[in-house]
Amino acid sequence: MKRVNGSAGPVPPVRAEQDVVTERRPRAVLVLGAVSGTVLVLALGGEAVAGHDAVAIVAPPWSRPAPGLPLGADALGRDVLARVLAGGRDLTLTSLAAALTASALGVAGGLWVGWSRGRLGRAAAGAADLLLALPLLLLALLAVVALPGPAAVVAGTVLGGTPLTLRVVADATAAARHAGYVEAALSRGERGGAVLLREVLPAHAGLVGADLGQRLVLAVQLAAALNVLGFGPAPPAPDWAAMLRENLQGLGLNAAATIAPAAALAILAGSVAALSHSLATRDGLS
Amino acid sequence: MNRHGLTVRGLTVTGRTGTVIVDRLDLRIAPGEVLALVGPSGAGKTTVLRAVLGALPSGLRQASGRIEWHGAPVRAPRRWRRRTVGFLGQDPASALHPLLDARAAVREALPRSGRDGGEEERALAEVGLDPAGLGRRRPHQLSGGQAQRVALARALAADPELLVLDEFTSALDPAALVLVLERVRRRRGDGRSVTLIVSHDMAVVSELADHVVRLGPGEGSHVAPRPPVLPPAGKRRPGGAPVLEAHGLTIAQPPGGAPLLSDVDLTISAGEGVAVLGPSGSGKSTLLRVLAGLHPAGQGQAAAAGRPLPWPVTERGPAALRALALVGQNPLDVLNPARTVGAALARPLRTLRGLPRRTARAEVLRLLATVGLPEDLAHRYPAALSGGQRQRVALARALAGGPAVLLADEITAALDDRTAAQVLDLIDALRHRTGLAVLAATHDPAVAARADRVLRIEAGRLHPHPRSHDDDRRPSLDVL
Amino acid sequence: MPWPARALARTVLLMAAASVVIFLCTAALPGDAADVLGGGRAAPGELARLRAEQGLDRPLHARYLDWVTGVLTGDPGVSLITGRPIGELVAQRAGVTITLAVAALAVSVPVTAALAWAAARGPRWLRHPANAAVVAGAALPQAVVAAALVAWLSAAWGLFPPVSMLPAGEPAWSRPDLLVLPVLTLALPIAAYGAALLRGAIADVVARPYVRDAELRGLPPATIALRYVLPMIAAPATRLFAVTLGGLVAGTAVAETLFGLAGLGELLVTAISTRDVPVVQSVALLAAAVVVAGLAAADAPRRRRETARP
Repeated sequence: MKRVNGSAGPVPPVRAEQDVVTERRPRAVLVLGAVSGTVLVLALGGEAVAGHDAVAIVAPPWSRPAPGLPLGADALGRDVLARVLAGGRDLTLTSLAAALTASALGVAGGLWVGWSRGRLGRAAAGAADLLLALPLLLLALLAVVALPGPAAVVAGTVLGGTPLTLRVVADATAAARHAGYVEAALSRGERGGAVLLREVLPAHAGLVGADLGQRLVLAVQLAAALNVLGFGPAPPAPDWAAMLRENLQGLGLNAAATIAPAAALAILAGSVAALSHSLATRDGLS
Repeated sequence: MNRHGLTVRGLTVTGRTGTVIVDRLDLRIAPGEVLALVGPSGAGKTTVLRAVLGALPSGLRQASGRIEWHGAPVRAPRRWRRRTVGFLGQDPASALHPLLDARAAVREALPRSGRDGGEEERALAEVGLDPAGLGRRRPHQLSGGQAQRVALARALAADPELLVLDEFTSALDPAALVLVLERVRRRRGDGRSVTLIVSHDMAVVSELADHVVRLGPGEGSHVAPRPPVLPPAGKRRPGGAPVLEAHGLTIAQPPGGAPLLSDVDLTISAGEGVAVLGPSGSGKSTLLRVLAGLHPAGQGQAAAAGRPLPWPVTERGPAALRALALVGQNPLDVLNPARTVGAALARPLRTLRGLPRRTARAEVLRLLATVGLPEDLAHRYPAALSGGQRQRVALARALAGGPAVLLADEITAALDDRTAAQVLDLIDALRHRTGLAVLAATHDPAVAARADRVLRIEAGRLHPHPRSHDDDRRPSLDVL
Repeated sequence: MPWPARALARTVLLMAAASVVIFLCTAALPGDAADVLGGGRAAPGELARLRAEQGLDRPLHARYLDWVTGVLTGDPGVSLITGRPIGELVAQRAGVTITLAVAALAVSVPVTAALAWAAARGPRWLRHPANAAVVAGAALPQAVVAAALVAWLSAAWGLFPPVSMLPAGEPAWSRPDLLVLPVLTLALPIAAYGAALLRGAIADVVARPYVRDAELRGLPPATIALRYVLPMIAAPATRLFAVTLGGLVAGTAVAETLFGLAGLGELLVTAISTRDVPVVQSVALLAAAVVVAGLAAADAPRRRRETARP
């Protein structure tokens, strides 16, 4: 047997870890995180930097953009810029509350279901399936019969989103039960709850973060739908989604009155969705 | 047309970030020859294969070099593969389409013109499968060994000019392996067939190959770990007092079901190395998991370092918890991806030994030195570690509590021979220097060869396994 | 139980559960129909009289049974506001919604398939933009899509009327130009959402060892797509179809309201804002029935293939 060493002379230098290293992309996550954070802060605090009162009538209806009125006026002659700056707060707060509630319930339930793997867990998963059969928006619309708009958004997001989170987290937890790091912790006597919080949850932080992003997008969509249908804040109050409906007819006169709130909603939902997607791809989930 | 066989000139493959994975590799396989690529895991063997086949996974790029077939560059790699190449991957059984039956699977590999002449029956019969009985079965209706043979029949059916076999020795069952070896031997010297194999089994390689190309770092390069810094010798001596005792253990899988193992009696002394052999599914791992407290014992008692070992594990006292440590087999999930190496090692130091934070930090560095890893690894996440490094960290984590017995569950199964040997050397050294006892579940003769005593599980019982001291040392270890 | 019986049992169970959820949401919560009838300013005595008249003083379960019996016997009751039979209201408006939904399905199914394929398996230069389109499209609120379509196709290009004032009594399909914008508003977000899920299913199949092996063996891409990938994603795809149907049904509410189409979605929204509880209940139950039927249909092929295996 001959031994040939690559016949190119010296042994080629090779990165031995290559096959094991999963290339992480923290930069995309950081950039998108910063963008989403900025958008959220602007949506929540935009009112403070608005020059005009958001409900005062300052110009003729559908005035085109002009000095001092950068985005023109809306159907009733109110400052569009001021309304866009002020019109995201309630919607964003509602969506954040809804998403955090749905995610927290889903994560807690998922950890429990995935860890205990009992009959109760299967029943919970079955009940979750049942809720999935009803469309989210329909649930929220039903809720709005009896509840105020924001509460209906929370109810719809929780009813429609929690089962999805629960399922994802339960699957991940069940898989992690036999991971080396979990068994090592168990065999040195750590309790189940501590293992779940110290080992399983941090190991799936990317998953939970990505999922929270999805719930937030869902909640924003739900809030936008309800507000567009007129179940949001009462009329003079500014709201991005309500602005879409109020100003759609005036597109030919002052397009900015429709496009600005639409862009605000799109950037809010889009940046969160992109962040969620990049978190999921980083951890090889999608 | 010149029949030069396969020529690779100056092949360089780079990763996404520009890291060089294969650097200016030249290969030449003439018709009738067999060439073997060897090297440690992660050296780029499979990458070379994919590059030769013109099918690099996304993220990898062929930066330079040429692949030539019979003297001409390969222009349409997919068509060339379809016409010329037979391929058998690392896990042949999983390479079968779950909805296609055996005949349909083999038929896929045949050229259109040869599909009516009963070629697929012949190909199946050639690998020892009865086409009448098994031809209509889908993969889930076949045994694992039969499925491997179907994949083998498919790779060989068209009598490919270029046969590529990727790590086939680790996955194939012995009978199928014999078939492959025989077939490759027949191809050798026939003046037509070109064969490219990747393997880490040096016994197979030395027997089959005309050329051996070694990839990866040579001796003394940056991958070689620093020598372990072991604790001073003489604290505990081999052959001392028993550190692990089990009497009449009965183990059911699942708990409460039919017993998998009955009446297990086991005594291990300080510094002793004991290997447990047995077919997969016989309960080797479960025995270790029972001792570690992860799985309940149906009956019987156990004690470690003189302390009783109750079940569940949360009932165990601190001394009993310290006495045993389990290391698993899968380097992919052995460490928490969200924790740095330092944090992973500090946790048992604090829970098991009650060290304050500052002392634990210093102790982490000492543990890393013990397993021969550099100190700066403490700040890294597992994703940045190789498989061998992860297993060493797992070993360090197991040693953190100062165990009397190490329960090693197939710890080298996922490592290549060289890395495995280094890990085993380290464990041997610890055994001799500190009196650590080791109970290893394994199917690897190389692990068993290092043990003082070998036990075998047969028919649900644990038996002593007679062995002489020099019979089953694997030649591959010495060659590597 | 053989699967037809099991599927039927499941469908009945799902419908029963949906009806309970719908009834509880709308009937058991504070603020009942008597408030609506009394205009919110009625005296307590008047309210009690109205409650008794409507049967609202009876226990919850009795009212639920009344409602279910009514629905099952084809008499879902009358609208609190207009006093017209609900069956008549629904029949009058169903045409618009069905036209809208069928057209949106016809658009979204091929768009979903194309987007998912481009994102998971398309040519490399296309994958990134396709993925971005999927992520963004699935994230956008429906109203934003509607605004963008109106701004682009109607205001900027003048192609379609921005608000569809459908002449009364004329069937919806007689004026296709009025339907383009609402149909796209419905179809595009759902197509993107579906593509996001389908892409995952395709990526999952494509990553399986036998598909990678087929690529290494040099099988043509079309063979891999048709023989290796398609049969394996049939089950998730049909399930996805059912979920899509649910989104579509609920989405008609937004599309019809924004574009001024008098369909079932608009009926539901109007009924909710006027607290016309019987109408809300019936329309919601109808929507749930469509979704549950879709789920049952999606389950059928999966069950059949599973039972075909030994």
